[in-house]
Amino acid sequence: MKARTNPPDWLTPEVLAHLRQVEHEFHARAFGEELARVNALPLAQRRQYVAEMVDFAQRKGVKFTKPALGVTP
Amino acid sequence: MLSFSELEVFYHALVVKARDRGVACAITSGLACVAFGVSETTKDCDLLCAPAAADIMLGLLQETSLRGHWPSYRGHLSPPLDARWLGGGWTSHFVWGGSGGEAYLDVFGVAPRGTTPWEAELLGCYAGLHTVAEMKRTNRERDWPFATALGLKLLASGDPRGWLHLFNHDVLLQTADRLDCPRDMLALRPVLHLLVAGDERLEVALRGEVEFWRQLDALRIKLYERALRPYFLAVRGDSRSAAAGLHAQHAVRVEHAEHLLPARPLADYGLPRLLAEARERAARLVPVGALDWLPDVSPSFIQVAT
Repeated sequence: MKARTNPPDWLTPEVLAHLRQVEHEFHARAFGEELARVNALPLAQRRQYVAEMVDFAQRKGVKFTKPALGVTP
Repeated sequence: MLSFSELEVFYHALVVKARDRGVACAITSGLACVAFGVSETTKDCDLLCAPAAADIMLGLLQETSLRGHWPSYRGHLSPPLDARWLGGGWTSHFVWGGSGGEAYLDVFGVAPRGTTPWEAELLGCYAGLHTVAEMKRTNRERDWPFATALGLKLLASGDPRGWLHLFNHDVLLQTADRLDCPRDMLALRPVLHLLVAGDERLEVALRGEVEFWRQLDALRIKLYERALRPYFLAVRGDSRSAAAGLHAQHAVRVEHAEHLLPARPLADYGLPRLLAEARERAARLVPVGALDWLPDVSPSFIQVAT
């Protein structure tokens, strides 16, 4: 996501850089190094990567469909 | 097999057409997370749709084919796409195509746990970060890292509400290292007082907070599932339910829903009762004192509980 056109005073370049670093480290811990790298890609490349990953998994028989329960978790 | 890219194009086109007809709608959940840079693997589309526009959305779905396939209601558990049930927190499920080539669409009118009108904060075809993050406070373990990741995205975009979504202890400490938590966020989320005070009970309090949200979600889903059962049995036992054409399927579902499906089960049950039960269940699973800093979660249910 891009920062707002007029960022608030507290969002200095230093704070933003710090947040990006915290984010990258958290993604690596929570989702793994590979997805942390993918999440940092530009949108088109990220979509392409996810598309390939999903299509490959589906060809191998992975089901992505959630049960239809009448209510969303 | 429909590729992920084909499906994305299909869902985006659906949103554009709906908005052209004046329908407020937005893609949320997994597909939104991919767009926001918190990738997850999904092929289903979760779509928020203003309840008042349910009829227009249904009309659009009826005339939308995918590779020559027309949509159907998915199974017998789907409530009708109608303002009465959409506004009460129900989800309508649709599917296009046969084996191996399906597209799945879930339509709901109220973002679960949403505290602000989702229509007010759209990001292109998607619901806003804050709404999507609120929706990640589920009873599923795997959703919580997404909430934290979206919270960081919010902060990096200049939105202090990101503080409301950081549930990871280390991330909270690291963020607070360079950034002051604003007073209005402290008021909305008491656990942040522990962070500001450097109180070591923060970690336990976070566990309490997450467990409380999880129990709330589990109880809410159970409540809706119980309310759905008589309707489900009637729809399943009615041969017209699988009639060709979405219009005919819809008419059958409305007919049964009007007699058997409460529009607002959470309002009927009572929010205070749900909150008390969630607290009681959470208390059995976390250390003593962990629930001392819970937020007031009633704004998260106000749209479906009144």
